[in-house]
Amino acid sequence: MRVKIMNVLCRSRKLVSSVFRSNILVDQTQVFGSWLSKARCSSLCQNLPQHFTANLASCQHRHHAASFRSHFHTRRCFSDRNEGRNSTSTGVFEEKSHEIDDNSFLSQSPLETFNLDVLVSLLRQENAVDLCVIKIPEHIKYTEYFIVVSGVSPRHLRAMALYAIKVYKYLKKDGDPNVKIEGKDAEDWLCIDFGNMVVHFMMPEIREVYELEKLWTLRGYDEQLRSMPDETLPEDFMFDVETTK
Amino acid sequence: MALPRLSRSFTGLLVETSYLIHQRTFSVSPVAAAIQKLTRVRVVDNSSLGNTPYHRSPRVIHVYTKNGVGKVGDKVLLAIKGQKKKALIVGHKMPGECMTPRFDSNNVVLIEDNGNPTGTRIKVPIPAQLRKMEGDYSKVLAIASSFV
Repeated sequence: MRVKIMNVLCRSRKLVSSVFRSNILVDQTQVFGSWLSKARCSSLCQNLPQHFTANLASCQHRHHAASFRSHFHTRRCFSDRNEGRNSTSTGVFEEKSHEIDDNSFLSQSPLETFNLDVLVSLLRQENAVDLCVIKIPEHIKYTEYFIVVSGVSPRHLRAMALYAIKVYKYLKKDGDPNVKIEGKDAEDWLCIDFGNMVVHFMMPEIREVYELEKLWTLRGYDEQLRSMPDETLPEDFMFDVETTK
Repeated sequence: MALPRLSRSFTGLLVETSYLIHQRTFSVSPVAAAIQKLTRVRVVDNSSLGNTPYHRSPRVIHVYTKNGVGKVGDKVLLAIKGQKKKALIVGHKMPGECMTPRFDSNNVVLIEDNGNPTGTRIKVPIPAQLRKMEGDYSKVLAIASSFV
């Protein structure tokens, strides 16, 4: 069992870390998971059962140690979307609570691995606008997490990308491959492919054009895909060896 | 097909041979080469430039490799609707390495000069080996809807 923690910005100054994982119904209109609000956060904290508060305390402590220069800009609460999970089988909305394993937690400390938590926290620290993390289901063998971030200006995007690379290089071990920034020529769309995560840094305008979040949450039911006309073979098409040439 | 007509006109001899040809139990495919200059390609994204009909199909006019042969993942220059446009090859009819997909058409995705794809969605399956290749393919993979 592993502790999985997602940092959640709470309006109050008190730092609360908790995990929200919500399965999204594929044909729901609101696809992007739940928006974080202070009321919801506090209500959820109250709803957590007794034996999890102890876990929370230790998780909190661990996360203090893990995040570098951790200071939360509660004023700059840009629209943060929670992590959403694609659910193709059931689509049941559930909030999974976390489990703790002391043994594995001690052996592989979060200070050493560049995982999703580290990436999201550093993006938040860089004042990323509209951070969206999508968990890709297993049958799409592309990546595990798909992250789309916006920035204030092209320089901001470039700075975020370079900082992410810097942190990755600092945390990577000898066996991990090097990661490069793709799209350096384009000023409005950069992207980085860490093996289990793909991050796209886009400007808000180009983000509206491509709507990657819609594609990767809706998958086959995406609007732009549906509006593409179906390709049909022309009437005089003959796929035959003898008639070609 | 010309053969059934012939077999109807000449009975006897040709009936037997045409019967044998129609009964072949193996599949036959024509010789296919990779993409080079003047090959006609199929644009598979939803860009307006690639989908509006024109009296000439899009053709490759330059392949950006050391030899003039383009395989999956190579950039090419196309002539579409009287204008030049860069594109990325995402599948060709030529059989490639072992365990890589082979497509029935030479598929291509239009790309701007800065590397951004021109269209916003790709319906056609995209080979997953693009992820491992050296080059800026993550943007094309991000707008793809299915992988092979």
